Parts: sequence; C-alpha cells; structure tokens
Amino acid sequence: MKNLSILTVLTLSLLSGCAGIEPVPAWERGYLADEGMQWQATAREAKLEGHVYTSKEASTGGAGAAGGGCGCN
Amino acid sequence: MVLALQGAAVAAIKKRSAPGETERLQAKSPLMRALGASVAALPAYQGALADAPPEFTEVGLRYSRYSEDNLASDKLIAGSRERYDIDVTQLWIEAPVGSSWSIALDVQNDYMSGASPWFVGTTVEGQPGVIMSGASIQDNRVEVGVTTRYFWADGNAGFNVSHSKEDDYEALALSFDVAWNSADNARTWSLSASNSDDKVVPVDGNIPVFIDREDLDTQSAYFGVSQILSRTAIVRVGLSYTLSDGYLSDPYKLFDQRPDRHRRSALSAGYRKFFTEAQGALQFDYRFYTDDWGTDSHTVELAWHQNFNRTTLMPYLRYYSQSEADFFGVTADLNADYYADDYRLSSYGAFTAGLRGTVQIGDWQLEGQLERYESDNKWGLYSGEAAPALVDFWRATVGITWRFD
Repeated sequence: MKNLSILTVLTLSLLSGCAGIEPVPAWERGYLADEGMQWQATAREAKLEGHVYTSKEASTGGAGAAGGGCGCN
Repeated sequence: MVLALQGAAVAAIKKRSAPGETERLQAKSPLMRALGASVAALPAYQGALADAPPEFTEVGLRYSRYSEDNLASDKLIAGSRERYDIDVTQLWIEAPVGSSWSIALDVQNDYMSGASPWFVGTTVEGQPGVIMSGASIQDNRVEVGVTTRYFWADGNAGFNVSHSKEDDYEALALSFDVAWNSADNARTWSLSASNSDDKVVPVDGNIPVFIDREDLDTQSAYFGVSQILSRTAIVRVGLSYTLSDGYLSDPYKLFDQRPDRHRRSALSAGYRKFFTEAQGALQFDYRFYTDDWGTDSHTVELAWHQNFNRTTLMPYLRYYSQSEADFFGVTADLNADYYADDYRLSSYGAFTAGLRGTVQIGDWQLEGQLERYESDNKWGLYSGEAAPALVDFWRATVGITWRFD
C-alpha cells in the first residue's frame, strides 16, 4: 500500500505538469481518433481479456470498476 | 440540432477519415469549416467515448477458444492431466436512441470442460505434485447485460446491469460510469463504480465440497484522467479500489481457507503515440497492483497497431509478475488460520504474445486474434517457491461486426 501511495503522488505530480501543454485544436485530432490510439481494442475484447486474466492471476483492476463475478475465480 | 450536427461531424471524421485526413477535410470542405466552431467546442473524442450517441446500429458476434496445456506428467500425482478448455460466444447489439441516448444488449455464453487442481501433495521423490479433480467437469455460464448511456456536450454517463448464471454460481452486478471533459477539451476525467452480489452453490461432482451456499459482495470504484499531449500523443492514469466481503475461498480445492475480506488497489497508466509516416500507433500500458493478502504485481503491455488500407494488424506483448499471498504455501499449512495451495496465489512471472487483425469490407468488419500465455516461477520479480500447477494457455478469437443505419 505504501508503494501505491508513492506512485499515486508521483502520478498526480506528473499530471499537474500537464497543465502547461498547448491545447490541440479539434481539427488536428484526426490521429488521436485512430483505432490504434484507443485505450482498448474493443469493449468486448477488453471484457473477455479482463475475464481471462482476472480468473488466472491474483490481480484485478486498473481499467475501470470491476464487473460481475463468476465461478471461474 | 447542434448536438446532432456535432455528433454527425465526429462520427463522419471517425468513420470516413484516415488519420491525417481531418486536417485536409477541414481545409477543403465548406461544411467542415462551417462546423469548425461547433466541433472545436466538442469534447476530445479520443478517450473513453465520443460524446454523441453512435451514428449506426452495430450487431456483432465473436467466438473465442481458450485452451490450457495439459499438466506436465512429472507434476501429476493423481487424476487427469487435462485442464480447462472454454468456448466463449459473445453476441451484442448497440444502437442510438434519439439524439442523446444509446442502448446495448450483450449476451455471453461460456462452455467449460476439463479438470482443475484439487490439492498439492508430495511425490515419492519428495517433490510437490498435483492431485487433479479427476474426470472432466462441465459447466455452462450465461451472462446477459444491458447498458444505457446518456450523452451531453461535455461528457457521457452509462448505467449497466448484468446477470451471470452457471450451475454453481450466480451474480447480479450494477455499474455506473461517467466521463466529462475540461474546458479546453484536452483532458477527460472518468469515474466508475460497481456492485456485485454473488451466490456460490457448489455442486458435488468428482470431488466432495463442504459448503451448501455462501454469499460474496464486491464493490469497486475507479477514477482516471486522460490528457492529450499533442496531435499524436495521449496519456492516461487511473486508480481503482475493490472491496470484497464474504466467501472468497475456492470450494473445489481441498485445502483452501481464505480471509472473508479482500481489499485490492491498482494504479494504471497508459500512453499512445501515433507515427504519421509509418501510419501506426505505439501502445504502452502499465499497472501496479497491491492487496491486503500480501500480493503485489506489475503488468506491462506493449503493442504496435499498424494501419493498412482496409486492414489493421496489431502484434502485442504482455509481461506480468506477482508476489505470493501471505497464506500461500506450495503445500498448504493446515495449522495456520488461513491457507491455500492455489497456484494463482503463488509467486511467478508470465509472458503473453499475441497478434490481432481486422479487415473492413463495406459495412462489415472481420476480426481475428491469437495469443499464447506462458508462466514460470523463474520469470517472476518476486521470491517464492514454485507452484507445480502454473498454467499455460492458448486463446483464439474470430468475430464479425455489422454496422447499418
């Protein structure tokens, strides 16, 4: 938990540094809308991937609130 | 009307334009110039979701095969070497409703067969070995979920309810999420929360079970923020917390006595960078996880998403390492208050290598994916004895999606 607190403080510090970033106009955001720039391939793939790893590893979380449980873990 | 125009403009950019075309459209098209001011007021449509309902109805079907390697013969003391195979079918429909709403229906069916580790004993050579659950277990799980989402100029909010039912387990989950954008549309804040009420009713089969029915409640929350760094780069960080209260042991393992409370936290970070000359995107994700059972873990994922004309290819790598839980033992210590010999609570490292591809044919999109997962105690970052039942598996997926007005 101590490690997590340190990492959280570091992350928030880095984020606060983002305040000075020059805004990107909407018409220059075409590359940002590319499929490869999304946080997940598709919602269904993310769901299945999360299901597999959560049931086979001890860790969970990091990409949103947890979904419903199942008997697999 | 303005919202509809904004939504249409965003959808048109997303659907019709290759990366980099947006600027050319903006320069050439009177419509795009006229919409410029409105579009500029839109939230960053990269991120969680565009803040307008989908312009098209989408129907999709995916089939995945998950197949675990057989247990090595030198790790087996008794029972079947064959481990789990799971056939997963996902079917969904997602559609806009009016100018500000969307609704999605998801149905997933998992058919599972195979054997699983029952407990870990000692071989005649004095090495730990696995007693498997015997002949093949079969189980079927059906999950049905409905998601409604409301969109407004600066964000969107969704509500999901899902029900999962299998022979020995039932879960009812509710979740809520909201995302909103900063005034300059460069930053998106996300918040989500969920609750799951689970019931476990183990079935006596090849192995005896010692409970009739138990309950488990899980609450989870996530807070994250994404920030556009430039016209080709974006970063995201998030923090999640999950609290489970109730029956957390595995009823199908002979020596498994876990605490009835589990607090889990994770800090995650992601980075995306588009390379215009290569027409591809670099993806990097990291997660640090810790819980009050003594497990910490690190997960690193790296991928390259390459665009071709109507095709995409994405090779990816994942590394994962976890430390063992406080009460884990390669063979369970039955004198302790809590004990488990479940390999999933042991110390190990794991690599995943995979390839994902899509092909667009008119209104149809085909997808395929193949990945290999291998785990080993020696690959881990943390010390701890090797569990004999660590798992390796293949996962393959094919899917088809149809979008129509």
